[in-house]
Amino acid sequence: MEAADLFEKYPHNPLVWDEMHAPDHVRPQYQKVFDFLLDIPADELSKKEELAKRLFMSQGITFTVYSSGEGIEKIFPFDIIPRIIMASEWQLIERGISQRLRALNLFLKDVYHQQFILKDGIVPIDLVYSCPHFLREMQGVNVPFDIYVQIAGIDLIRDNDGTFYVLEDNLRTPSGVSYMIENREITKRIFPDLIPQNHVLPVTHYPNILYKNLMSFSPRQVSSPNIVLLTPGIFNSAYFEHTTLARLMGIELVEGRDLVVENHRVYMKTTGGLQQVDVIYRRVDDDFLDPLVFNPDSTLGVSGLLSAYRKGNVAIVNAIGNGVADDKAIYVYVPEMIRYYLNEEPILKNVPTLHLAKPDEQKHVLANIHKMVIKKTNESGGYGMLMGHVASEKEIEDYKKEILKDPRQFIAQPVISLSSAPCYINGVMQPRRIDLRPFALCGPNGIEIVPGGLTRVALREGSLVVNSSQGGGSKDTWVLAGS
Amino acid sequence: MLSRVADSLYWMSRYMERTDGILRMLKVNHHSSQDDREGFTWQPVLKIFSSLEDAQIEEMEMNGRKVLQYMVVDRDNPSSVLNMVTKSRENARSVQDNITKELWQALNEFYHVVRHERLEYSLRVDDPMTVLDSLVRQCMLYYGVTDNTMSRGEGLSFMNTGKFLERAIQSADILDVRFSDLSYDLEKSTDTTYWKYLLLSVSGYELYLKRYRSGFEARNVIDLILFNVDFPRSVLYSLNQLHRQFARLKDEQNMEGFSKVDFIIGRVRSKVQYSDVQSVARIGLHNYLKEITADFYEIGNALNQVYFANS
Repeated sequence: MEAADLFEKYPHNPLVWDEMHAPDHVRPQYQKVFDFLLDIPADELSKKEELAKRLFMSQGITFTVYSSGEGIEKIFPFDIIPRIIMASEWQLIERGISQRLRALNLFLKDVYHQQFILKDGIVPIDLVYSCPHFLREMQGVNVPFDIYVQIAGIDLIRDNDGTFYVLEDNLRTPSGVSYMIENREITKRIFPDLIPQNHVLPVTHYPNILYKNLMSFSPRQVSSPNIVLLTPGIFNSAYFEHTTLARLMGIELVEGRDLVVENHRVYMKTTGGLQQVDVIYRRVDDDFLDPLVFNPDSTLGVSGLLSAYRKGNVAIVNAIGNGVADDKAIYVYVPEMIRYYLNEEPILKNVPTLHLAKPDEQKHVLANIHKMVIKKTNESGGYGMLMGHVASEKEIEDYKKEILKDPRQFIAQPVISLSSAPCYINGVMQPRRIDLRPFALCGPNGIEIVPGGLTRVALREGSLVVNSSQGGGSKDTWVLAGS
Repeated sequence: MLSRVADSLYWMSRYMERTDGILRMLKVNHHSSQDDREGFTWQPVLKIFSSLEDAQIEEMEMNGRKVLQYMVVDRDNPSSVLNMVTKSRENARSVQDNITKELWQALNEFYHVVRHERLEYSLRVDDPMTVLDSLVRQCMLYYGVTDNTMSRGEGLSFMNTGKFLERAIQSADILDVRFSDLSYDLEKSTDTTYWKYLLLSVSGYELYLKRYRSGFEARNVIDLILFNVDFPRSVLYSLNQLHRQFARLKDEQNMEGFSKVDFIIGRVRSKVQYSDVQSVARIGLHNYLKEITADFYEIGNALNQVYFANS
């Protein structure tokens, strides 16, 4: 095959923003990569794809699917063509996310203390109190530096005019950051020299920033506090990420059974006896953290952890009870929060969102259900969604019944046509829809966002759902240095 | 170090040591099966390394290919190489932040090699020696990477403790099974190839030739495998190493526990160090081996109690 064929048949959809191709030219941030790809013999790309797969497999960058009693190693699908973001675009994203995160932290502090925003009627009280992730146990609890969200993954999408929108905030235990780091390492292997030639900003310092922040949250004033990463264990699909982060920060990876609470202090069981733990970066959900307070059947957590936390004897990252701020019904009010707490106009827009608990909005949604995406307010990972434009009549009817049972749990958004990026699939360059999840770190010295993030790809043709649980993959995400 | 981590490192290492032992034994047995020797059987291998009933062993013992399949790739055999490597890797996976990335990759690759469908095919069709050699090479890689990359800390000490304890148990087991063939009669003469293959299976053949000039005798074989301090698979060598590696775990914070384990290791080490072939012959080889093996298991139990928080 001739090299020039690679993009010759690349389809252009005028209703979709393509990251590489403007209607009549290649966007400047992609020019070098585009030229490079044209020079490569086509079968060379397939070889590189093969190499990428082999590297993921041999390095154990995999998750295990257990079936018929036997574990099978799977790779999170990776597309070899990087997604590229210009410096000017990145500056906007960075400012927008920082602003949003400042407001969300203030909201959490407020909602678990004086509740000014509820009393002033900006956010409806019943919305907060009906959220299952609003934890009364957190009322009046002080957290270090008033920071509740130390690590945030804010999902961004682009509409057909290229505008960035915030699709959702992930403020509990956002995952995927190890893929930001590993995807870059793989690109270095499959496309040597390409990264320095394009002046791509590095992402490898993410664990160093996080570690520095974790240190500062230690309640004990000691020179080397004990910091641990709490994982649900090897059966968790994000286990690889937990080990990677623990390794890159040099902290201990622990499971619930390694910890014990005594006299409102948390200890880990070591070969030299019990050792006090100061900071827990937990990747276990609130519900499973402490069987004495939350789900009593949980074996993943530690009995008495919450009491130690409330006494301020241990720091937990992210804070407990953050789910009230990333509830999809509360999301609607984030722009208002920004105005209320910061007296600023939101830099990044929300996707227009209707809440089905409001009678007039519900009426509108049900009448226009074919143009809507309906989501459950407390689900993530792409579960429990209805895509109105592709769902069957039966699916819609069933879903309507669900909605009417408890409208509080549902929101609706217009079908947003996510931007597309070229992907190398089955030897052909094809457009696929993508989103972007940058990872923001919030510490005592402010908010830092490593230039990059996780670009998720809806690998199925025409699909708008990028979640890995729904057949999504990922790309290396480049942010170019400013000129 | 977390107790759970110490436990996993110890077992990761024990499973790899056992894998290595199984592979060597299979290699030598296969080799020896090519001599068309009178009375050759795979029975000792199956006795040492599997938990099959006697009847099942009888059914399989003359079919080399079948034994190889069973001992290397059989998913239902809990002591197959495939399952050993899987267990070792599963332990490694849960402590990845405590071993080097290189070591994790070596184990992970080994795992993918033993699970590859080609392996089963090769074992059935190709030269088994080549296949076994390629697996032994993976073990060597594991040992080399461990030695060259792991920091000299608590983790490595637990790994080495597991490794040498496992090796001591294996060498004692091999002696026991092989001599049970001869009804533990140290005077009984047998053909030299019997000794040759026994020594080859523990990589001690060449050393034996250099050390014992009088030809093959049961007493010398016992001397080498139990007492030779320069032979890396002898019981005494393993115990010396075990004692040395374990001593590094001495820690003021857990003196009581340390002393308890140290005492048992020291006791069995002295027992082996201050016996010789004559004294073994007096109490009977089988009794002697039974005694020290019981001590080995006591060490394992004590480690469990003191360090791995499993009582």
